[in-house]
Amino acid sequence: MAQSNHDAEGFRNEPGQSAERGKAMISVRDLHKSFGHQEVLKGISFEVYAGETLGIIGPSGCGKSTILKLLCGLLIPDSGSVTLGSDRYGLVFQGSALLNSLSVTENLRLPLRSSKMSKEDENAKIAQTLKLVGLEDFRNAFPGNLSGGQQKRTSFARAIVNDPQIILYDEPTTGLDPVMSTVIEDYMITLETKLHAASIVVTHQYSTWTKTAHRIILMHAGKIVWEGRPEEAVVSENPFMKQFAHATREGPMLAGTV
Amino acid sequence: MTSSVPISVPKKEFRVKLLDFIVLQFAVGWELIGQVIVMLFQTLRYIFTGQVDLEETVRQAYMIGVKSFIVVAITALFTGFAMSLQIARELVLFGADTAIGGVVSLALVREIGPITAGVIVAGRVGSSIAAELTTMMITEQIDALKVMRIDPVQFLVVPRFVAAFCMMPVLSIYAMAVGLIAGIWIAQVAANVPPSTFLDSVKQTILDRDFVVHFTKSWINATIVVMFSCAVGLNTRGGAEDVGIATTRTIVWTMTMIFIFNYVVTSLTYAPR
Repeated sequence: MAQSNHDAEGFRNEPGQSAERGKAMISVRDLHKSFGHQEVLKGISFEVYAGETLGIIGPSGCGKSTILKLLCGLLIPDSGSVTLGSDRYGLVFQGSALLNSLSVTENLRLPLRSSKMSKEDENAKIAQTLKLVGLEDFRNAFPGNLSGGQQKRTSFARAIVNDPQIILYDEPTTGLDPVMSTVIEDYMITLETKLHAASIVVTHQYSTWTKTAHRIILMHAGKIVWEGRPEEAVVSENPFMKQFAHATREGPMLAGTV
Repeated sequence: MTSSVPISVPKKEFRVKLLDFIVLQFAVGWELIGQVIVMLFQTLRYIFTGQVDLEETVRQAYMIGVKSFIVVAITALFTGFAMSLQIARELVLFGADTAIGGVVSLALVREIGPITAGVIVAGRVGSSIAAELTTMMITEQIDALKVMRIDPVQFLVVPRFVAAFCMMPVLSIYAMAVGLIAGIWIAQVAANVPPSTFLDSVKQTILDRDFVVHFTKSWINATIVVMFSCAVGLNTRGGAEDVGIATTRTIVWTMTMIFIFNYVVTSLTYAPR
């Protein structure tokens, strides 16, 4: 199911005709953010529509994860605006961020605390979500007893248990083996298709952005230096994109300036 | 052969660095006290509006209270032994053997009971809370709660505060009782004072007001331990090294505050007028 939205070369097809897109689910305008004297974001703007996955790629420290934290309110921007089309959003953290003192089921119950669901409905929803990520046999396990891949899938389950309209992924496949990375990427596509959510995936893993994103932006030193579709990225002559896509030493990225 | 070169730091530079250090420590200290006060008000707001997770509170009561019983007993027992031995020795010299029970119980109810329970809970529970919350900060678990629109104060601090507030007086009374048993034993063995005489002396000496002070100190200790450990934990960022630093900082602050507030309460209630 997950592969049916891809073309012959493995890139994702367009998410839908522009007429179907409607208003943007995520709208970011001229975002600026500094930590002390270090300006991390220097005027970032983009939009993401329902059913679309935007890949934010770039070298470590370029401000990718900061964007996600600004989107979900963990950080306040210095200037610029962030507009979300729905208050139902989920974030999959790089390190899973599961509460170690709670079981898998109790972790999934957390996003449902503010809903008016009955206990029975909550349990049914949790069971259904765990089945979706293939963890129905681990409902009573604690995060410390799960493998890295299982923790990541639990983190996915927790992010989607309240049917979010927006899903944010922070380095979802970093640190996983290639097989588990493929499993996680397939889950991402399945979830996005099932929920018709707007997604942002922050990554520097080649397979993840080429496989899961409809559109990508390449960041360097707090700015967007290239924007387009993944299949365009791999053949781009833009010096930043070329260096990043082909993972070479020659290019402007090591110089540290834009 | 090695030659030693004397290290000399210019006096002026040393004074400036020392002044900077003192100013920084004051600033950091006041910042923590501010965080504790804000967190205490937030916690009380959740409690008075009935937003307390009872299941988690019971779990924390077990962690904070029940799991501290053995270590509190051992500490109180040996503190009681040592104190009773000292008191018995001096009172026997003055022929006031029958007053041993009264003096021992006064010390236990007014000072030793709350202090022993407070210090043990600060060491065992305060450090554990600080380490746990700091680790949760570092591993983004606190951020995850915020993303799910769960206030970490309501989810993490309130149950611990309510649990400590309920269990600390229990531990203090328990420490006092164990210390009293130690006193009875020492009085009989070292001063040949029978338990009945010892207990008569206790009854004649202890007033209701002493128990009011006892419980007041226990509740203040509970507040200090939970609020300082949570404030340190929820405001620490960094890596593994910072968990250790946060734990040490919590112990230093809670112990210091327990002794300061113990004196404040004592001076307000027992100072001669």
